[in-house]
Amino acid sequence: MTSADSRKVEMVVNGETVVGSVPDRKLLCDFLREDLSLTGTHVGCEQGVCGACTVLVDGRPARSCLMLAVQAHGRTITTIEGVSRPDGSLHPVQRAFHEQHALQCGFCTPGFVISTIAYLDERGPDAGPLSEDEVREHLSGSVCRCTGYTNIVRAVHQAASELGALQAEGGEL
Amino acid sequence: MSNSANMEARTATPEEPKFIGQSTPRKEDRRFVRGKGCFTDDMVFPGMLHAAFVRSPHAHARIKSIDAEAALKLPGVIAVVTGRELAEFTTPFVCRQEGAPPMEMDALPVDKVRFAGDPVACVVAVDRYVAEDGVDLVEVDWEVLPPVLDMYHAADAGMPLVDEKLPSNMHTHETRRYGDVEAAFAKADRVVTAKFRTQRLTHVPIETRSVVAVWDDGREELTYYGAAQTAHILRTTLASRLGLSENKVRVISPDVGGGFGLKLPLFREEFTVSAMSMRLKRPIKWVEDRLENLTASNHARDDAVSVEVAVLNDGTILGVRADLWADFGAYAFYPPSYIIHVVGWLLLGAYKIDHYEYTINVAITNKCPAGTLRAPMAIVTWATDGMMHRVGEELGLDPFEVRRKNMIALDDQPYQSAPGYLYEALTLREGFDQTLAEFDVKAFRDEQARAAEKGRLLGLGIASVVEPTTYGSAWYKASGDDGSGHEAATVKIEPTGTINVMAGIVATGQGYETSVAQVVAEALGSDPANVDVRLGDTHIAPYGMGSRGSRGAAAGHGVAYLAAMELREKVLKIAAHLLQRPAESLRIVKDTVVATDNPTVSLPVSEIARIAYNDPTSLPEGTPPGLEVHSTYDPPFMTFSNATHLCRVEIDAETGGVEIMKYQVLEDAGTLINPMIVDGQVHGGVALGIGQVLLEEIHYDEQGMNVSATLADYLLPTMDTVPRIEVTHVETRNPNTPNGIKGMAEGPVQGAVASVALAVQDALAQVGARLDQLPMTPSRVLAALRAAHSHANS
Repeated sequence: MTSADSRKVEMVVNGETVVGSVPDRKLLCDFLREDLSLTGTHVGCEQGVCGACTVLVDGRPARSCLMLAVQAHGRTITTIEGVSRPDGSLHPVQRAFHEQHALQCGFCTPGFVISTIAYLDERGPDAGPLSEDEVREHLSGSVCRCTGYTNIVRAVHQAASELGALQAEGGEL
Repeated sequence: MSNSANMEARTATPEEPKFIGQSTPRKEDRRFVRGKGCFTDDMVFPGMLHAAFVRSPHAHARIKSIDAEAALKLPGVIAVVTGRELAEFTTPFVCRQEGAPPMEMDALPVDKVRFAGDPVACVVAVDRYVAEDGVDLVEVDWEVLPPVLDMYHAADAGMPLVDEKLPSNMHTHETRRYGDVEAAFAKADRVVTAKFRTQRLTHVPIETRSVVAVWDDGREELTYYGAAQTAHILRTTLASRLGLSENKVRVISPDVGGGFGLKLPLFREEFTVSAMSMRLKRPIKWVEDRLENLTASNHARDDAVSVEVAVLNDGTILGVRADLWADFGAYAFYPPSYIIHVVGWLLLGAYKIDHYEYTINVAITNKCPAGTLRAPMAIVTWATDGMMHRVGEELGLDPFEVRRKNMIALDDQPYQSAPGYLYEALTLREGFDQTLAEFDVKAFRDEQARAAEKGRLLGLGIASVVEPTTYGSAWYKASGDDGSGHEAATVKIEPTGTINVMAGIVATGQGYETSVAQVVAEALGSDPANVDVRLGDTHIAPYGMGSRGSRGAAAGHGVAYLAAMELREKVLKIAAHLLQRPAESLRIVKDTVVATDNPTVSLPVSEIARIAYNDPTSLPEGTPPGLEVHSTYDPPFMTFSNATHLCRVEIDAETGGVEIMKYQVLEDAGTLINPMIVDGQVHGGVALGIGQVLLEEIHYDEQGMNVSATLADYLLPTMDTVPRIEVTHVETRNPNTPNGIKGMAEGPVQGAVASVALAVQDALAQVGARLDQLPMTPSRVLAALRAAHSHANS
C-alpha cells in the first residue's frame, strides 16, 4: 500500500503514547500486532464473534477486529500485555486463570482475561456475591474451544473475590 | 500380553509417587496469560511476503483458464501461481487404502475443482491486504458441472464422477463378519432396528491454520513454522513432495491455538506456500481466515449408523448387523474407510455380543474433505447405547436393565470383543452400577411423569463409553493403513543437573510441558520445575508419531518415563561407583542420590552430571560419557479407557430449546498423571459433544454452497449453553502400559454426544416423539413434537 492511503494516528497503548501511520483500512488488531508487535491480541474470526481479539478502549471492552486503527486515534488502549504489573507479577484475573486451569491452548485467553477484567470492573466490588448464572451470561460473548468453560467460571469467581478483598483493603487494583 | 509382567517390573515406581498423580499447575500458563505465547502468526521474518488464495465459487467445475494478468499488475503483488504451474515442480499426495483405489491430490487442482472453496491459485504479495486485492483480480473461466451432494445417491446412474480417476463415487463398500450372524438372527425372538445420523461438523480451533515457510538459500533448506500435531510425519511428506531430502526440511510447531485433529495433514495451502517460498527464495506467511476455516479446511462426522439387533424376549442380545455410511467429501487426506471402520469395530461398545457383521459405505462427494475431528467415531457410543435402549423399549423392559444384563464387567476381562479387540481393566458395568447407585432413577422417573403432565419434558441419558486411546504399531499393520503407533523420547541431564526432555508428541493445549516434566521428574527424583520439555521441532525432538487420538499419555508420556528410568539406572550406576555402595541401596531424592540406609551418604545429581560430561575418566569402567538416553516405545495393539456419563435435560416445548440441567462424568483413565489436566480434557470434550448434539452444523445448499460460513451461522457452544461439568475418577491401572496409564481425551466427546442425545430422546419419548438426527436444534425438536402430536390426533 502506498503512503498516500495512510493517515497519522496517535493513541495511548498500555500507558505509552504511540504515533503511527496506517492505511485507512487497517484493522486495530493488525495495527497492534504488526505495527506495535503486541502479538498477545489474537485474531480468531475477524467477524466479531469469538472475542479472542478483545482489548480495552477507554476502559471498555472492544473487538479489535471490528475496529479500524484510525478509529482508535486519540483513545486509550489496553491490551493483554498491559495487564500484568511492570514487575512481571500477574493481575489477579491472570493468576486466577492459571490457578483454576482455566486455559489450555491459551489462544482465547487474552480475550477472556481482558473481558473478565472489564466485567468485574464494571460490576464493581460492592455488587455482592457473583452467581454462576451471572458469570455465564456476561462472559458468553467469548468462545473457548478447549476448556468447556467450567474452570473459566471458577477463575472468574476466584478473581472476583480477590479483587473484592483487595478493594476492601484499599489496595490498588 | 506375554510381556505384561515384564512391563510392570520395568515401570515399578522407584519411590513413593511424588509427581505422577499431582495436579501440578501448568508451566506454560505464565506466557499465555500474559499474551507472551508464540503462535505461528506472531512470527515475523525479514523480507516476509504474504499469501492469499483464489477459491472456487462452484461445488464442481472445470477450470478452463486462469488469467492472472491484472493481479500481477497490481503494485505489491509479487507472484500468482496456479495448480498447473505447481505441478511442474511438486508431486501430488497419494492416499492409499488397502483393497481400494488410491486417491491423488495435487498441490492445487489443475483441471477441475471439487467443492466450493477449493483453492485454485495463490497470490503472493507484500502484505495480506494487497494479496487479497490480488485475489479479487484473478479471473477464472469455469465450466460448471452438476454437483454430487447426497452420499446415499452418490453412485446412482448418471451421477458425474467427483474424482475422475476413481471407478465410482462409492469409494469403499466392504463387509466384515464375526461369529455366526445368520444363526444368531435365526434364533432371535425378534429383530429390533434403530438409526442414528450425525451432521457435518468442523473443528474450529480458535487459532486457524497458519504457516510461515522460510527458505534458507544458503543452506538450501526449508523451515516450516506451523501447527503440526504430527510434525515429523508432516516433514517426511513435505520433503518428498518438494523433492527435498528429509534432512533439508525442518518443521517447527510453535504454540498452537487448538488442534482437535485438524492440524494433522499437510494441507494444500501450507504446501503451496512452502513451494512458493522455495521458488521465490523469500519467507511467506499464510494465515487462514475464518471463512476459509469453515469452508475449506477439513470437515468431519456426517455419518450414519443403521442397526438390526437379534434379541431374545428376556433382553439377551444374540447378534447385530450394522450398515454404516460416511460422506467423505471431495479429497482423501486420510484413507476414506479409516474413520467409519473405527465406528464398525467399536460399535458393540460395552456389551457382550458374539455375532456381529458390519458393512461400511464411503462416498466421495462435492464437499469439503473429511478429517479427524476429536473423537472421529463420536457417533458410536450414541448408536450403541441408543440401540440398547430401543431393544428395551420394544421388549417392554427397563433399558438400563437390558444394558446392565449385557454389559462387560471387570470379572469378564480380559475380554475379546467380536472384532478381536482385547478389553482389560475397564470398569464398564462397575461405573454404570455406581452411577445408578448415586442417581435415583426411580425418583427421576416419577418427577419426569409428573412434569410431563404439566407439559414439561425432562430427559435422562446415561452413556457407557469405551474409548480407544492408544494404537500400537501392530494395530496399523492389521488395519492395512500406513503408519505406526510407537513413540520416541530423549531425556538428558545436562552438565549442571538441569533436565531436558524431547519427544515426538506435539502440544496443542494439553499441558505436556508440565505433565511430561512430572513423569520425568518422578523417574529421576527431580522436580518438574527442573525439567524442560521441548516438543514440535523436528531438528530437536526425536522422530515420533505425534499427537492424535488420545495417545499422548500412554505413548508419549510412557516413553518419556521409560527413557528417564533408563537414565536413572545410569545415574545410580555412576553414584554406586563414586560412593562405593551397591546401586540397589541408592535412590534419588530432590536431585540428590542418597543411601537408603544412611541418609548422610549422598551425592548431588549435578555432581554426577559434571563428572559424566567433564570428568568421564572418573566414571565406572566401560560407562560412556554423558547423561542422555533415547528410547522408543511401541504400545500394545490397542489401549482403552472408559467412562460413564450422565446428563439430565429439560426441553422447552414452546421453543424446542434444550437445557442441560445436570452433567456428570465418572472417568476411568487408569493412572492419572495430572488430574487437573485430565479434568480439563473431560470438560472440553464434553463441551464439544454438547455442541455436536445441540448446535453445530455445516449446511450445504442444493447447489453445494456452504451456507454456514461464519461463526454467526456455525454455532459454537458458549458459556451459557455448556453447564458445569462434574468429574470423578476411578483409576484402574492398565496392566500392559508404563505405570498403568491409559490416556483419554476423546471419550468425553463420545460420552457427551451419547448422553445428551439419549437425554433429549428420553424427554421426547414422554410424548411419543422421536428424533434420530443431530443436531437436535429447536426447529428439529419442535418438528418432532409436532409430528408426534399429529400422529396422536390422527
